[in-house]
Amino acid sequence: MTEPTPVLSVRGLSVRFLMPGGRRVAAVTDVHFDVAPGECLALIGESGCGKSVLASALLGLLPANAQSAGEARLGDLDLISADERTLSRKVRGRLIGLVPQSPAAHLTPVRTIRSQTEETVAALAGIRGRAAVRDAARAAAERAAFPAGHLDRHPHELSGGLAQRAATALALVGDAPLLLADEPTTGLDRDLVDRTVDELRRHVDTADGTGRGLLMITHDLAAAERIADRVAVMYAGRIVELADAASFFGSPGPRHPYGRGLLRALPDRAFTPIPGLPPELGALPEGCAFAPRCDRATDACAALPPVTGGVACHHPVPGSDVRAAEDVHA
Amino acid sequence: MTCDAPAAQSAVWRSYGIRRRSTRTVRVRVSAALVALTVLAVLLVPPLAQLDQQAVDLAAKLQPPSRSHPFGTDDLGRDLLLRCVYGLRVSLLVGLVAALVAAVVGTAVGAAAGALGGWVDRAVMRVVDTLSSVPHLLLGIFVVALFRPGVVPVAVSVASTHWLSTARIVRAEVLSLRSRPFIDAAVSGGASRRRIAVRHLLPAVAPQAALAAVLMVPHAMWHESALSFLGLGLPTHMASLGNLVQGARSSLLAGHWWPTLFPGLFIIVPTLAIAGLAGAWRERISPRRRSELML
Amino acid sequence: MLELRAVTAGYDPKAPVVRNASLAVAPGEAVGLLGPSGCGKSTLARVAALLHRPDSGTLLLDGTPVRRWRHRAPREQRTAVGVVFQQPRLSADPRLRLTDLIAEPLRATGRREEAPGRVAELAAAVGLTPDLLGRRPHEVSDGQLQRACLARALVLRPRWLVCDEMTAMLDASTTAALVAVVEEYRAATGAGLLAVGHDHTLLRRWCDRTAHWEDVTGGTP
Repeated sequence: MTEPTPVLSVRGLSVRFLMPGGRRVAAVTDVHFDVAPGECLALIGESGCGKSVLASALLGLLPANAQSAGEARLGDLDLISADERTLSRKVRGRLIGLVPQSPAAHLTPVRTIRSQTEETVAALAGIRGRAAVRDAARAAAERAAFPAGHLDRHPHELSGGLAQRAATALALVGDAPLLLADEPTTGLDRDLVDRTVDELRRHVDTADGTGRGLLMITHDLAAAERIADRVAVMYAGRIVELADAASFFGSPGPRHPYGRGLLRALPDRAFTPIPGLPPELGALPEGCAFAPRCDRATDACAALPPVTGGVACHHPVPGSDVRAAEDVHA
Repeated sequence: MTCDAPAAQSAVWRSYGIRRRSTRTVRVRVSAALVALTVLAVLLVPPLAQLDQQAVDLAAKLQPPSRSHPFGTDDLGRDLLLRCVYGLRVSLLVGLVAALVAAVVGTAVGAAAGALGGWVDRAVMRVVDTLSSVPHLLLGIFVVALFRPGVVPVAVSVASTHWLSTARIVRAEVLSLRSRPFIDAAVSGGASRRRIAVRHLLPAVAPQAALAAVLMVPHAMWHESALSFLGLGLPTHMASLGNLVQGARSSLLAGHWWPTLFPGLFIIVPTLAIAGLAGAWRERISPRRRSELML
Repeated sequence: MLELRAVTAGYDPKAPVVRNASLAVAPGEAVGLLGPSGCGKSTLARVAALLHRPDSGTLLLDGTPVRRWRHRAPREQRTAVGVVFQQPRLSADPRLRLTDLIAEPLRATGRREEAPGRVAELAAAVGLTPDLLGRRPHEVSDGQLQRACLARALVLRPRWLVCDEMTAMLDASTTAALVAVVEEYRAATGAGLLAVGHDHTLLRRWCDRTAHWEDVTGGTP
């Protein structure tokens, strides 16, 4: 398999927060991953595991008390060391399109969808002239399957699904090579989740084959299963497993005990929770952060597990262990 | 792909927004220093002063700032620095008393209107609207005119016009809190109406009300100065900042700038300092700050 | 029996969000109410928890019709229904530590002395550590806060539980953990449950039976 040049290439990315009293919170630690063109990588994990911080770091939207290390290459540009001017003029909208968590809150409440789309088209696509802008805005809305008849509505007059499409339309205007979707399905119904996710998928699989990359951050495993090519499981600020989506959700299943635990908790599977709570990011244990909740933990877990074959675990479930795979579906 | 490179243990940490932080710190420190200076001056200068602020020295009238009189003297030869400090003392006293009264009355009325709702709310808020539609100064003048000039009538006048805004802020806050699920949860947990008001609503509006009160102190000082400037506030022999500016008007036309400038600065500088501190406080209590660690 | 009969409710009498909804939960039964978002099922849940006065229709609690609502309702009726909301951030008083949050209903009903024991017992059941109990809501994650909110709903040992999209904001593991806590409580006390949500898979797995919004409202939009 020939690897195309990745759209986004994250190497050793860490983010920490300096809290009052000199406390340090390691929100993201030593994260490595790639997103290839035409690929969807789903970043999954519990709330508070550092997913959103990772997204903010990529967009350069970290608060003042944050520090970051490592790099995230998007083409020739390192997003982590880029200055605010570069980020606002070249990156946001143009290189990364953001599909927000709550689209209704993301859109300006006092302006119509048309005026917001036109403004975005004029700013990002550089289209001049009233008629041209108007046409381009209509085309942009059409691309995200937003009905032209609803363009003159205000955000509060739209249903959740339409607001999501409007926000997606804005994210697509700049023709960014990378789409970043931060919990795009929170609070939506199952049917609407499926539709939203399918539409996002459609924007990744463009006909001309160049393809965008999509990084979707979510805690909704069903949505991730529906859309993702690959899955990155995040736990306590680290990516503990990076796997092919088909093998992660299907057979042989996740290899990291945490990923297995997450799937076992689904109501259509075993519906049993992982015991215990995730650790505090401000007081992480020395070794494997999952060890206290892990039924496979041994003395070896007192040391930080190295990443081997995409899994950071001392005793991963063997990839071909059929018995364990059945256990997941029990 | 080279994912297997070990983590750079000596990671280079980059920070964000250092500059923004430091200007905020500077702003807060300068404001705090000025407020402290104001309080110290008001408390310490009168007992320590060698000169009598009322001491008239016609031989030294309208002298520009010099070593013996850093702020110069007024048209009766009184030391302006001392007069200003005494004026600030009176103005600050009026401001504090008025702000306290206004905050307590405004919070009580606003919280009652918001919590009880229905016709009580409508009636109270119509009264507030009606009173707000009268210009503050006019209403203030009307109240002062009912009494003999003095500190108490001025404080009452200022308070009677300023509780309205606090009442509105508190009512709006209570209304938005009342529909929150946490109030529903308290109701469902068997809490009485009184307990909900005292344990859940009042503590939630207290920071807003206190902030409104602090911001009202400079406002009340200005109001007092305006009343005194119009000759309706404090008796003219009493040094208040408004009286000082008023008295200096004629000398300004003669080219003597100091009797106007220094009392003016005494009105403006503490105002800005208090507003600066209150602004920093508002940033602290605003919910935006709570999401600083976006997890 | 927790019975809603022909309930019409909303915020504007001219355009009610709930029209003519009827639903009954037997003691010990778990009923899931499924409906799309924005259909008014949360409003119906609030009616069932005595938190919203319906425009018309009746709520029968163990055979007694409810005549007064919110804080005007008799305390025994109000506290017979425990309620958990969708967003833990909004349903927790931001100034209370988690211990006080859980103990608040006991204090409000004059059973202060029971608080330490009951809080410790519930904290263990929902999986909150003593360290977390000493924190305020902004210092814990959504999942941890929802655990505390569930403990608060159970602290008065209600005969009925209303869970309004309790797990919509939570990850799979926390969802499974909270559902397990509810089921343990119901097994021990025989309490009835009305779980409102939009996740078919979850509610079918969780509840004895599920009802669709269209069926509950008799097909009227």
